[in-house]
Amino acid sequence: MSSIVIQGDTSGSITVEAPSVAGTHTLTLPKVTSTLATTADISGPAFSAYQSSSQTLSTSTNTKIQYQTERFDTNSNYDNVTNYRFTPTVEGYYQVNASLGVGASATGVYTQIFKNGSLYEGSYDAGHSTITSTISSLVYLNGTTDYIEIYGNFGSGQVTAASSSQTWFNAVLVRAA
Amino acid sequence: MTLYEKIKTLYPSLTEEDFVPTTGTIVLQNDSDGKGDYIRKWNHPTLAKPTDEELS
Repeated sequence: MSSIVIQGDTSGSITVEAPSVAGTHTLTLPKVTSTLATTADISGPAFSAYQSSSQTLSTSTNTKIQYQTERFDTNSNYDNVTNYRFTPTVEGYYQVNASLGVGASATGVYTQIFKNGSLYEGSYDAGHSTITSTISSLVYLNGTTDYIEIYGNFGSGQVTAASSSQTWFNAVLVRAA
Repeated sequence: MTLYEKIKTLYPSLTEEDFVPTTGTIVLQNDSDGKGDYIRKWNHPTLAKPTDEELS
């Protein structure tokens, strides 16, 4: 029979609360040696932002997209003023999603995730009538210096579609390292 | 005139395919830091990367 150890030096009490429904409830631990949950697992960084002021992109030029308005930014890890980058303070694997809308006419759109200033992954939508291009990926970030940004590239230079429904960027920690 | 337009003027033989992000040999970039467009990569097999003087 294993033992249960409660350790730590925090004040107060520890409560294991059963749900308010009848029946037997069992808390089953993983079959591997591990920590069940850390603070980071429970409250890891998450942010969501969108573009509220359009940009003009030159033809065939990778341009960092400015997502200026935050919906939320739980750990203040997204810079929506100067560098438009997400630099999370918790190490782990992040789900990253972004969308880029074209503001005028149909053209090829290349939406890219940049990690630490270099292309990580891209999604190319080759010039039909679709006016937004989206990308979604998992990215490991070290919680200190790693950062991600979104770059866009239009086959025909024009403005972006500054809209919360077309041009947005968000990320969330899905697994701590 | 944008950097893309200057390069196209300097080298009229370049096509749109040369600038396609996934397969092209030339990558232009703008980091939205106020410094404007610049040549991030130039791997064209026959044409030399333009000098700053040629692009000014």
